[in-house]
Amino acid sequence: MELRASRIPGVVSLAQGVPSFDTPEAVKRAAIDAIEKGKVAKYSLAPGTLEFRETIAQYLEKENKFYDFETEIIATAGSIEAITATLLAILEPGDEVLIPDPTYTSYQPAIKAARGVPVFVPLAEEKHWALDIEKFEKLITPRTKAFLFCNPNNPTGTIFTRNQLHALAQLAIKHNLYILSDEVYKDFIYPVKSCEAGAPSAQFNRVNDSNERLYSLAELRGIRDRLIYIFSFSKAYAMTGWRIAFLATHQDLAKKILAVHDTLVTCAPVVSQFAAQAALEMAQEDVKKFKDYFQKRRNLICKRLDKLENVFEYQKPDSAYFVFPRIKDEILRRVAKNGGSWQFALELLEKAKVAVVPGAAFGPSGENHIRMCFGRSEEDINEAFERMEKFFRI
Amino acid sequence: MLEKNAIKKILKKIVQFHLKLFTKITLWRHRPFIVAVAGSTNKTTTKDYILKFLREKYGEKEVRGNPKSYNTEIGLPLAILYLDLGESSMLRWLKILVQAKMRALFLRKFPKKLVLELGVEEKGDMEYLLEMVHPEMAIVTNIEGSYTYSNSSLEKIFEEMKFLAKELPAKGYLLLNSDDERVKSLAGFSKAKIVTYGFAEDADARAEDLKTDAQGQIFNFVFQGKKESIRIKKYGRTNIYAWMAAKVVKNIL
Repeated sequence: MELRASRIPGVVSLAQGVPSFDTPEAVKRAAIDAIEKGKVAKYSLAPGTLEFRETIAQYLEKENKFYDFETEIIATAGSIEAITATLLAILEPGDEVLIPDPTYTSYQPAIKAARGVPVFVPLAEEKHWALDIEKFEKLITPRTKAFLFCNPNNPTGTIFTRNQLHALAQLAIKHNLYILSDEVYKDFIYPVKSCEAGAPSAQFNRVNDSNERLYSLAELRGIRDRLIYIFSFSKAYAMTGWRIAFLATHQDLAKKILAVHDTLVTCAPVVSQFAAQAALEMAQEDVKKFKDYFQKRRNLICKRLDKLENVFEYQKPDSAYFVFPRIKDEILRRVAKNGGSWQFALELLEKAKVAVVPGAAFGPSGENHIRMCFGRSEEDINEAFERMEKFFRI
Repeated sequence: MLEKNAIKKILKKIVQFHLKLFTKITLWRHRPFIVAVAGSTNKTTTKDYILKFLREKYGEKEVRGNPKSYNTEIGLPLAILYLDLGESSMLRWLKILVQAKMRALFLRKFPKKLVLELGVEEKGDMEYLLEMVHPEMAIVTNIEGSYTYSNSSLEKIFEEMKFLAKELPAKGYLLLNSDDERVKSLAGFSKAKIVTYGFAEDADARAEDLKTDAQGQIFNFVFQGKKESIRIKKYGRTNIYAWMAAKVVKNIL
């Protein structure tokens, strides 16, 4: 959709999930310094420089996650490399991987690239896109090998609760499954109080009421031998182009994944490792600043969506920078006839010049929805809604 | 562009010169006992354990360390003078230098013990840092490389550690990780008392019977004829090295 949008002049895009900010200054300076000192022209060790991994381990400790930086942390070329390398390491051809429905679009091709079979587990939209553990267990077969999910969830901008995560962990132990927890949006959690509507369950997955730290299964020591924690610098530090992320897991599993990672990329880009190390050490204030902006934009987009209540209904996002409204049936019939969310998004693009992502791209339960990204500027958001209001004649 | 870089370099030299001077004045006035932590990695964890143990013994206010990123030619003096990094603004740096001068001359209370990470990358870095601080005790954690082919850079770091070993006074202590051959060999270059730690049989302070479970790591710590069972919640041998080094420091001081 983004590609198609780029060919149409004057389109306002709420499609691509990238932040509107540039990489923080301190991060750029650290990268320049590393280049000037001649530190980036050589391969690093396959799992990454020792200093970077040590910094990661120290950072994780502050979040109650404990990993040995020498044997349990691997710097990767983006989180999708971490996911693909892990799947290649753990799957046999035909093994099934459960993924939430709807979820991030790139999970399916990654599973297929590892000769696995993606199996969707529908989320309960009416329960703030909650994970239905009973449905989950019913879908487990002897071929099921892993559960892959992102928390906070893309495209819904919602969080899986602590109880859901614990139930998931129990199932993983019972059925001997791996869990891949992709927590790329963990730094963008919005205070419960500021949610005027929706998000009734959001309070249960936070570490406590006052802070906005996401609870992670990586804090649960009992499953560290089957949990792969993945974090990317792309969104939190506005570093999508640097292609840098890391994974952390038990050393036995890390060894297997490292062999695949070495084959795929030898090592993560070394200049990006220096940049990401600086991000962890010096850019926490920038992350907070980004979050504040996103929170304002979240409030703005919800306000604008409320004005379009005849067109959309939605669960208010409590994290990330996505909202995933359902298109009301009569509007969908009027605008897209029998075409569903794809046709609807195309009509919006061609007639209103607003780019969004059709919900069907995220799984069958995403049908009749669209994903809007509020990582873009307030001007873009306002302009997109002006156009949509005109298009829907509100 | 070239001119801009040249100006930046000159300004950096001026800032460095003054920070070094004010740090020397501060340390001369207060004469704290300095424990230096050096090595390729594991400095922060080692320093944090030492701070924890020494604070248990001497109280929170009497022991201070430098934050992780404050361990080089600019960061170290700032940490000693209780100042923050100046970003890239000249005005901010000017303000820092004024504050540094005031603190060097008038600061009344100062901790009795400083635990400082020393970060070195290039030839001469250690010499520069040791012109400012004079540790009586030093720990060398390891000499390891982050690159696939990095022997020459390891030798460079070894030379820097050798300088530290030589500079320690005879009444001082040098704690060496005995599982790292390069580090272990530093014993031959120092007149200070040597204490080795590690998993090796011949280490003065030794960890043995290491076991890992969901709650962390358990091992026996053998030192000065005593054996105690230790549990730490962190994973990885580096944390055990750091714990042992800190325990030895606590025992000596």
